[in-house]
Amino acid sequence: MARVLRPLPLSLRLPLLGAALMVLVGVVASQQVLSALGRVQDARLRELAAMHVEGLSVALGPLVLRRDIWEVYDTLDRAGRESEGRRMVLTAVADEAGRVLAATDPRRVPVDSAIERVAQGAVPLDQLSVGASESTVRLIAPLDYQGRSVGRIVTELDVSDLQSERRRALWFLLAGNALATAFLAGLGYLAMRQMLRPVSTLAQQMAGAEGEPQPIAETDVPRGDGELARLARTYNSMVHDVAAKSQFERRLAERERFVALGRLSSSLAHEINNPLGGLLNATDTIRKFSNRPEVVTASAELLERGLRHLRDVARVTLDQNRLEQEGTPLSPDDFEDVRLLILPELKRMEQRIDWSAPEDLTGCAALPAAPVRQIMLNLLLNASAATGPEGGVALHALLDDAGLEIDISNSGPPMSEAARARLLSDEALAPGGGVGLRLVRDLVKDLGGRIELARADGQTTVRVFLPAREGATDA
Amino acid sequence: MTAITRRAAIMMGGLACAAIPMRSLAQTRFRLGLTPVFLDNDAVIIDRLRHVLSAAMGREIELVQKRTYEEVTGLLLERSLDAAWLCGYPYLQHREALALVAVPVWRGRPLYQSYLIAGQGVAADNLSDLRGATHAFSDPDSNSGYLVTASDLIAMGTRPEQWFSRAIFTYGHRNVVRAVADGLVQSGSVDGYVWEALATVEPDLTRRTRVIGKSEWLGFPPVCARKDTENAEPVRALREALLGLSRSDAGRAALAALQLDGFQTAPEGLFGGIATRMRLLET
Repeated sequence: MARVLRPLPLSLRLPLLGAALMVLVGVVASQQVLSALGRVQDARLRELAAMHVEGLSVALGPLVLRRDIWEVYDTLDRAGRESEGRRMVLTAVADEAGRVLAATDPRRVPVDSAIERVAQGAVPLDQLSVGASESTVRLIAPLDYQGRSVGRIVTELDVSDLQSERRRALWFLLAGNALATAFLAGLGYLAMRQMLRPVSTLAQQMAGAEGEPQPIAETDVPRGDGELARLARTYNSMVHDVAAKSQFERRLAERERFVALGRLSSSLAHEINNPLGGLLNATDTIRKFSNRPEVVTASAELLERGLRHLRDVARVTLDQNRLEQEGTPLSPDDFEDVRLLILPELKRMEQRIDWSAPEDLTGCAALPAAPVRQIMLNLLLNASAATGPEGGVALHALLDDAGLEIDISNSGPPMSEAARARLLSDEALAPGGGVGLRLVRDLVKDLGGRIELARADGQTTVRVFLPAREGATDA
Repeated sequence: MTAITRRAAIMMGGLACAAIPMRSLAQTRFRLGLTPVFLDNDAVIIDRLRHVLSAAMGREIELVQKRTYEEVTGLLLERSLDAAWLCGYPYLQHREALALVAVPVWRGRPLYQSYLIAGQGVAADNLSDLRGATHAFSDPDSNSGYLVTASDLIAMGTRPEQWFSRAIFTYGHRNVVRAVADGLVQSGSVDGYVWEALATVEPDLTRRTRVIGKSEWLGFPPVCARKDTENAEPVRALREALLGLSRSDAGRAALAALQLDGFQTAPEGLFGGIATRMRLLET
């Protein structure tokens, strides 16, 4: 029952349970009424039968003693004709030996036949009951006269009217109970629905239009200080908190991009600054040896190379800021850009880099560039920080049918517990720690991918799987 | 007698004075016996007959009803009744002591028949077919309700208690018809006049019976008195009243209710047939 009801909404389940209880109460009450009615009818029947038997005993006693068949018959016939409503269908009187003296229907119960034939199923007065199956019941009673039993009386009583009265009562009760139950269940349904409306609203708002919990409108919040009102208000404040948190996280992620760049800014500044000396020398050389075309040409080429490098550095830095989350699809250039961004930092830290990236990304072109670049950059920065000066960092990107796998390893010590928690779980961020690894986790999750962490041969490897996205083959 | 005081003499005289009107009152009331064997107890018919006779005789009539012929005959013989409407059979049983006052005329003659009746569904066409049946007689002193069938059986060389599996007495011709019609018994012996009268007033009752035998015509049940009072004033008055019933409207109405034509003096040898049957029974 409970299992059947479980899929139904609470606002339907409770009224249904109420109605079921009403039906139960109705059934029990009906049973009580019917059994009371049955008792009253039985008592009435017994009283009537007792009067009948007593009356006959008084009238028939001397006649039975004399075995006056005609007088016994005449008395029975007249008594039967005068009895109300033909309750007594048949009465037979026998002598002591059990031979029938007369019956109201002599053809059915002939004179001198055995009373046992008609007494089958007959019960004594104290066991007489209307019953439900037979339309007639039979009574057997001794015929007492002057203090001794002179014969026996068997009476068949028609109880069909009492049974139909009972059936009528049953139908009235059924109909009445059904109506009352339906009416009260309807009322209960409406009342419960009204009472549970805040809960329905809450459930609706929790599911939300775009999968996001929505706050309950102020007009729908129940009035007063009831538990439902408190529930709605608490829910609203929770929804606001969640919204604020995700907004905060969005802002944090946004900022993380700059944070990564910030961390790279000094090495990028070096990257720009270092060639500047060479470039200024080249301009001096051009001024000094302006009459020597081969020198001018060589210096101009040097100048051009330096400027081109500067332009590339400036471009990737700008690109990193400009990229939209869902904008441009990932391309082999993005790997190059990340390499270009991270190289100065690695150089500053005097670290080696082992780099291999696919040259063709047709299979997973639908992966967006910005989050993948952010993932790689954050993990490389982390690896660089973990491995320390003169360490080794590696990036291997592989493309297969399932998607893109990016392995980023370093030769530093194993990852700390806090860092693992940030990268592999949804535990709340401990204050003071960076958000870079958590951002990686969030981005991978958004892309439907997964992260594995492995430690082998003194190498810590973070393995990121990004599944190929739908429409990838079309791209 | 000398011991009688004056006061006692006065008291006795007072008692004697008081007794005279009581006695004369009792004498003026005529006591007529009836049996339900004959008329059953139709109170309206009996009351009408009483009124008519009472008016014709100029005196009050007390109708005394008893259950059996034996009781009524006994009361008549012991002078508790002045006259009684009996049956030819008890009259003949006591013919030395009884005298005929008048006899009813039914369908023009002072004669009637005994009917042998059977219930519907009883496969019998005569008395011979009723061997082993249950049978109802009206009264052991009734000619039509007992004597006729009993003497017929004796003529057949048997007796009622041997021929029938069970014979009962209902003490009323109408009761015999009821017992047969209701199936209490399979057959019955009944007064033909009563059966015919019932066929008119209660056709539903007689329709459930079938006449399977009729006797010869026999003397109709007569009104009798004791021989010693036969010519006394009240009995003569009764005879006059009975014989004159058909001459007054009230009398005719009473006779019509009884479905009789009138009363007449009994012709000689009216009960010869019954006497013959009685002799058969006594053998």
